[in-house]
Amino acid sequence: MWDLFCPERWFAKTDPLLQTNRDSFVGFDQTRPLTEYTFVVCDTELTGLNKKKDELISIGAVIIRDLQIDLSSIFHRFVRPQNMDPTRATLVHRITPKQLASAEPIESVLPEFVEYISGSLLVGHHLPLDMYFLNKAARQVMNGTLSNPGVDTMRMAQGYKRVQLGYYHEHNPRQISYSLEDLAREYSLPGFKSHDAMEDALQTAYLFLFLIKKFRKGGLVTLKDIFQAGRVGSFRYR
Amino acid sequence: MVQNSSVHIVAPEMAIEFFKGIMPFDSLDDATLDRLARNCRVDFYPQGTRLLTTGETDITHLYLIQRGGVKAFIEDELGEETLKDFRGVGAYIGALGIIRGTPANLNIETVEDTFCFLLPKEIFLELVEQHPSFAHYYLKSFSEKVVSTAYNQLRRHKVSKRSGDDLYLFSVHVGELVKKLHTISSKASIQQAASSMTRNCVGSLLVYEPDDRENIVGIITDTDFRRKVVAKGLDYDLPVSEIMSGPVERVLSQSLCFDALLQMMSASIHHLAVERRGRIIGVVTSHDIMLIQGHSPYYLFKEIRGQHEAEGLYALAKKIPDVIRGLIKEGAKAGNITQMIAILNDHILERLLTLLEEELGPPPVAYCWLFLGSEGRREQTFKTDQDNAILYADPANSEEKKAAEVYFREFSEKAIDHLVNCGYPLCPGEIMATNPRWCQPLAVWKDYFSRWIDSPDPGELLNATIFFDFRSGYGDSNLAQSLRSHLNEKATKKDVFLFHLARQCVSIRIPLSFFKNFIVNKDGEHKNRLDIKHQGLTPFVNFARILALKHGISETNTLARLKELLASELISHEMWSTATDAYELQMQQRLIHQLRQIEEGKQPDNHINPEELSDLERRMLKEAFAVIERLYTFLDQMYPVP
Repeated sequence: MWDLFCPERWFAKTDPLLQTNRDSFVGFDQTRPLTEYTFVVCDTELTGLNKKKDELISIGAVIIRDLQIDLSSIFHRFVRPQNMDPTRATLVHRITPKQLASAEPIESVLPEFVEYISGSLLVGHHLPLDMYFLNKAARQVMNGTLSNPGVDTMRMAQGYKRVQLGYYHEHNPRQISYSLEDLAREYSLPGFKSHDAMEDALQTAYLFLFLIKKFRKGGLVTLKDIFQAGRVGSFRYR
Repeated sequence: MVQNSSVHIVAPEMAIEFFKGIMPFDSLDDATLDRLARNCRVDFYPQGTRLLTTGETDITHLYLIQRGGVKAFIEDELGEETLKDFRGVGAYIGALGIIRGTPANLNIETVEDTFCFLLPKEIFLELVEQHPSFAHYYLKSFSEKVVSTAYNQLRRHKVSKRSGDDLYLFSVHVGELVKKLHTISSKASIQQAASSMTRNCVGSLLVYEPDDRENIVGIITDTDFRRKVVAKGLDYDLPVSEIMSGPVERVLSQSLCFDALLQMMSASIHHLAVERRGRIIGVVTSHDIMLIQGHSPYYLFKEIRGQHEAEGLYALAKKIPDVIRGLIKEGAKAGNITQMIAILNDHILERLLTLLEEELGPPPVAYCWLFLGSEGRREQTFKTDQDNAILYADPANSEEKKAAEVYFREFSEKAIDHLVNCGYPLCPGEIMATNPRWCQPLAVWKDYFSRWIDSPDPGELLNATIFFDFRSGYGDSNLAQSLRSHLNEKATKKDVFLFHLARQCVSIRIPLSFFKNFIVNKDGEHKNRLDIKHQGLTPFVNFARILALKHGISETNTLARLKELLASELISHEMWSTATDAYELQMQQRLIHQLRQIEEGKQPDNHINPEELSDLERRMLKEAFAVIERLYTFLDQMYPVP
């Protein structure tokens, strides 16, 4: 309340949503059974891949509870970019310039997303890229970053491949594509249209479900098991 | 949070697309589908995951297979598995348990990596509640499964389990049993044929036209050599066309063994040519089917035919309920079951009368044993009163007339006596061949029908309806045919007669109250029970009979009558399918009811207590009853009250 009368602190202070999210991971326990964690599988679409210039234009996400995809939990938002270049978005994405022009700015979309993922683990295909842009935005508009532990399905797939092929020692077999599309085809997962944040998030969710249950069948029953055995990558963002 | 144009909450398209592609969800509107899709969960089960365990798993949601496949099986105490079913993409798991509120009735395990949509039980039940077509779909698709479940429940307490080969009649296709095709030209000699059969170790050869191997014109079997060649001292150099039987009865390769067996039994043959895409690919024999089927109706059938003492038939006839029980358990449809009962009863009768003819000497004139009522319609269940009559050829003179009367009196008395001993109770209304009134020459029978049709007396007509469903049971079927032609010719022209039948039909009250509750008997022996035969099935039977008579259709079976009415476009396709479904459903309920009574050692009857049915069964039965109203409307419009 007093913050309202103190503009400096008001601007400097980390957004309470981010703080709540951070608090929920204090003393985070990796040894519980996998079914007890809530995962948010997300994907973002960007104006481009330039880390300096480019920005988020859509976020798609879905929640996995009890290791089941909950289709009632779909999160899909378009974001109005600050530097709008109407010709670019349509090239790769299925987003029309009009959709972008009428979308909310990141200032209102991001807090919504933070609330949505609060307390959950994040899952993404090549997650570090998504996290980079999400945290960049979070620093700008919410004075902080996301504390959610993350799981990268690309690294899970690499770990699974090593187990499958028996290359426990070779770090990464060559000439294997780990693109979302190719993995979905290889494991005959139901397919989705690519280059749409929501469709890609769902595709990633299917991939995650497939891999984590395969791991579980192999005897890895806690989150820690998954992190260790598959060396699938446990990382925190600050 | 603020809701605005950028907020984009929709159900995942893929889920909606999936639902649109499978029955019965495809009939739902977009809003409902959207809601369904948003309330689903998706789960993944690696190959070899057990989803449901018989009698243990409480089913909390309906599984719909998006990718992959599962097997359904049961396991006995010794852990032996009996496979029941494979289900693939688009198939459902768990519907029956949800609807009946019982734990899983089958074990389910994934045989591939499998993704499923999980629809919460509450939402599924809501759909079943709100969309009649939905409930209908599930009931129809597992009307067979309902039966086997009902039976399984009984079996657990009452009956010892048979081996796992029970299912074969209904799961194995004829094409899987067919052996390599062996053929011979019709010009080849008998000796050449015999040596070819010996060389190839086969019991039969298909015979083709000399210049066209594809043109199969007949078949020769081992028996032909014994009966037609050796016994008659035929020249071995004669062409096989002399001894072959033709044309050959065919069966499609995708037919079930059950259907092939039915076909063999009704034609009294042992070989069928198997056809695939218009070509004969081989032969299937009753022996082949028997080999895969340990306990089968076929054994009974064979034993009946091999019986040389009427007394020996008593025990065999009493085995019929056992065989029928087996069929219900294997998931046969009501229509098939009653057909099988009819065939077995027909064979008992045929054997019995053949033996009687041997005992009493040949009859003085040709005759035909008529089946009436439900036997005439091939719609018997476990409880079958005798309804029969004798129709004989018009005697040439008074001497022959006297001889016929004497012969058939003794003949019918003995026959009825044997039938009683076989377990077919006497007809309380004395409609039996022993009644001199119903043991008459063709001319008298024609008069009977003329009188019923020309000057219908409503009271008499009520008792006469079962005569209109007569069919030939044994003997000279030409007699039955000429009586049928006479009847058809008269009935199609007499609207006043049909009018009376129609009025009579619609006078049976539909057993549903204004509020769609069942109307049950208020007191007496069958208090709070529904008479499913009289109140439920009879209106359908009457309806089909009236239209069949009006349009000169000779069929007597209700489902067959309806089918012919459809084929001649006398009723709409929609009406046909509604009536057929409703009728079959009730037959099924009746069979389960009677089976249960037999298991409990009671006399089977037709009185069902609605309280003892599951919710869905009750609802389906109500819907079936509601169809009667439509039949009545149809009759009312055709024969309006003046």
